[in-house]
Amino acid sequence: MEKIDPRKAFGKAVSEIAEKNKNIVILSADSGGSSGFGEFSKAHPERYFEFGIMEQGVVGIASGLATTGKVPVFCAIAPFVTARPFEMLRNDCGYMKQNVKIVGRNGGITYSDLGATHHSLEDYAIMRMIPGMVVLAPQDPSEIIAASKAMLEYNGPVYMRIGNEPQEVFLQERQFEIGKGQVLCEGSDMAIISTGLMTAKAVKAAEKLREQGIAVQVVGMPTISPVDREIIVEAARKTGRIITVEEHYTEGGLGSIVTEVCSEEFPVPVKRLGIPKVYATSGPYEEILSFYGLDVAGIVKAVRESLSGMEYGNG
Amino acid sequence: MGDKTITNLKLYAAKSRRNVLRMIQAGGCGHIGGAFSCIDIITALYFYKMNIDPANPKKPDRDRFLLSAGHKCMAQYGVLAERGFFDKKILDTYGKLNSKLPGHPDMHKLNGVEGNTGALGHGLSLACGMALGLRSRGSDSTVYVVMGDGELAEGSNWEAAAAAAHHNIENLVAFVDKNGLQISGKTSDIMNFEPLDKRFEAFGWNVMEVDGNDMEQIIELMDRLPLKNGKPTLVVANTVKAKGLSLGEGKVAYHYWKPSKEELETVIRETEEIIHHLESTVKEVS
Repeated sequence: MEKIDPRKAFGKAVSEIAEKNKNIVILSADSGGSSGFGEFSKAHPERYFEFGIMEQGVVGIASGLATTGKVPVFCAIAPFVTARPFEMLRNDCGYMKQNVKIVGRNGGITYSDLGATHHSLEDYAIMRMIPGMVVLAPQDPSEIIAASKAMLEYNGPVYMRIGNEPQEVFLQERQFEIGKGQVLCEGSDMAIISTGLMTAKAVKAAEKLREQGIAVQVVGMPTISPVDREIIVEAARKTGRIITVEEHYTEGGLGSIVTEVCSEEFPVPVKRLGIPKVYATSGPYEEILSFYGLDVAGIVKAVRESLSGMEYGNG
Repeated sequence: MGDKTITNLKLYAAKSRRNVLRMIQAGGCGHIGGAFSCIDIITALYFYKMNIDPANPKKPDRDRFLLSAGHKCMAQYGVLAERGFFDKKILDTYGKLNSKLPGHPDMHKLNGVEGNTGALGHGLSLACGMALGLRSRGSDSTVYVVMGDGELAEGSNWEAAAAAAHHNIENLVAFVDKNGLQISGKTSDIMNFEPLDKRFEAFGWNVMEVDGNDMEQIIELMDRLPLKNGKPTLVVANTVKAKGLSLGEGKVAYHYWKPSKEELETVIRETEEIIHHLESTVKEVS
């Protein structure tokens, strides 16, 4: 199946919507071309603003623009639009409740060989701590398109993480609703709750497990915040055991969220797959994922271990 | 609005200072030093210069005012109250639970506040974005921002300074309330940004200078703004910290003030005497 560059899918989707919504403006910190806005910048120079490499300034400027009715979209490398300008996101976008769209591309460890400065493994955690900030992590190129549309229709600050590696479309074309997860595979032995690029692997792992006689439910969770609590509780009730899978630290992201929700509403064992809280190693993308157990084999292994009681005694 | 004569504007500034003292009375303490150094400029903006309407505070073509040094917000609150943006009774809630007047401004709580400043180094970027957005939609509104001089050490200001010049944001006017003092002492000793005029000129800005506590000079300057020559404008406003607070003028200890009852009564009396004198002058003239 054809693989699609997520940045191009995103840039094209936003550019098409911006043809109709003239309030949309694109901001660049020397990052617009690499974010899929090359054509837009030529077609609409009056709505494309280049600022050079100044992410703090750009986030503040974006919020100022939004106060005048503009809908600024700012896309650059994920850590540089989250960790670096965090206070601007917190105060200027969040506290001021401005309609700013921040997109972190090359999220997670997709900038694999460039090393830990360019990885973004805490972005879900820090962005979800901003009151009112929607945090999205679409799971394939078709969902990036749907999520971009939803993001631009929503009135308020949004952070969306996308990847870098070209990816196959595996989700059906569907309505994307902010705050809603979706059951992608049925099963009652255990539930995998997954987000972002990991969901494709979670679905493949479920297929493999099915061949081995284990029926795993897979819940795709493209909204990190506000999270779909209902679907988490349903998965806990139905399967009694959950594994979360994400390209993020095991602390602070989806794993923490699922643990929090289960702890409050329907306690079941939750195993969190992700990257331990270290500065991740560098190398080819898929190899780093395998190194941390974030490949199909790693997910299969984690499910089997959990079901055999190795993880949680005989519970 | 009342008359725009210099005496009247001085009277509004004195009454705004009195409003600040009323807030101090309610809350017991506050950032008076910076509030009193920039309050004359803010008075001139709201009573003389800006296209604003207290009855229609969100009108789209209004000029914008941002207080980047958000800790000086009592100055803005004092002026907004005097200008009729809100009932002066609200001044008595300063420092109280759920007040519309927090220690740093909140645009969702009070009409007339355009941004949630307070963390330093945010105002100039926000103002750049506002000015760019207004220009993009064909408005001829101007964005005015007041920054502190100590605040200039925040690097984000210099990102915004570069961006404003690069994008020819001529409808942006930034005042630096240069009272020369910050919490730990003299600004020039803590982190020197002189020559301030040359630094901003080198960034591509128009630079002007004014005595920021002299209403005649301020008005003369306001009449020339905005310059509309393709560049943003910086006004170096030389001011005195705690100007108008007889016991605290020019003293760093009055950055944040927790007065005794007697001290507060003294300065209220002095401020009211100034108001009385200015009112008499206004009457005589009319």
